[in-house]
Amino acid sequence: MSSADQNRTYVESTIIMTTVRVVAPFAFTFGLFVMFHGAESAGGGFQGGVIVAAAVLLLAFAFGIESTRAWLEGPLARAAIAAGGAAFTVIGLGAVAANGAFLEYEAYNLGKTGVKYGIELVELGIGAIVSGVLVGLFFSLARGDFESVNGSDADGQGGEQP
Amino acid sequence: MTAITAELTVVLTFALLTAVAATFLRDVLNAIIAFAAFSFGIAVAWLLLAAPDVALTEAAVGAGITTVFFLVTIAKTVRPGGERLFEPIAWRSVAVVAVLVGALLTTVRSLPAVGAVNSPVATSRITEYYLGNAYDQTGVENAVTAVLAAYRGFDTLGEATVVIAAGLAVLLVLRQEAYV
Repeated sequence: MSSADQNRTYVESTIIMTTVRVVAPFAFTFGLFVMFHGAESAGGGFQGGVIVAAAVLLLAFAFGIESTRAWLEGPLARAAIAAGGAAFTVIGLGAVAANGAFLEYEAYNLGKTGVKYGIELVELGIGAIVSGVLVGLFFSLARGDFESVNGSDADGQGGEQP
Repeated sequence: MTAITAELTVVLTFALLTAVAATFLRDVLNAIIAFAAFSFGIAVAWLLLAAPDVALTEAAVGAGITTVFFLVTIAKTVRPGGERLFEPIAWRSVAVVAVLVGALLTTVRSLPAVGAVNSPVATSRITEYYLGNAYDQTGVENAVTAVLAAYRGFDTLGEATVVIAAGLAVLLVLRQEAYV
């Protein structure tokens, strides 16, 4: 776990940290709301996923990219991308298994609310894909220039292993 | 009708000014901030045109995420020095842009007025079908979501696949296996 002081471009600012501490939970909740509530109001998985990713990026800007990366350590983004794609496909194939067409929500025979829940699950899957891709992209882009010397050495510039 | 035209004029003038600023500002950081302001102006324009879904996308992607990605990118590159605030104007490029803008402006006259009830989109049978049946058939109040996730669900699955494939490809190219 590298200390934030080693980041060349990160400057610890009480104002930014306090602001983000207040704003980030609301941004995150709003992202989830846009994702869940896309069926009734403006929004949907794509927009909600972007807002959720933006909330994570807010944290990264306020508390340092390396600290946020350490906090998100693990296959979280990768798992979100895979789970989102899998959820979408499974919902589509489940309709086929229930003697319907691909993604025909009526085939689940749950009535109109069933159709709506199917659509909302699909939106959630899209949100997981989008937020996972954006967060992964951000931390990949920000890698190198923002991290400690030890970290970039460990990664290896000349390492050719796949 | 006139009120929305006036509001649109203000917002689009703001967007135009910020776009010009983003083009001519010499410091990339200033240009990025001007570009974010441009996206915000366009998002408000979408909102005025009663397209909240598009406005939300424009605000989140254009003004939000893209700005952050640009910031991260310039942090890894060199910013041009010098005292000047603006780039020198390349008149040949301005001429090319002026010709393109002129060609596009000739099409504006054939667009329907803002909010016109007899515009082809509003009178199309497909529009009527979706607006009339979306709630009964899907139970979803937002017709845009109904079209995206139900009527055109297969297309959306394709789009999601494109996002997954593009994201994974870029992440693999950047060789950051640990955080893919």
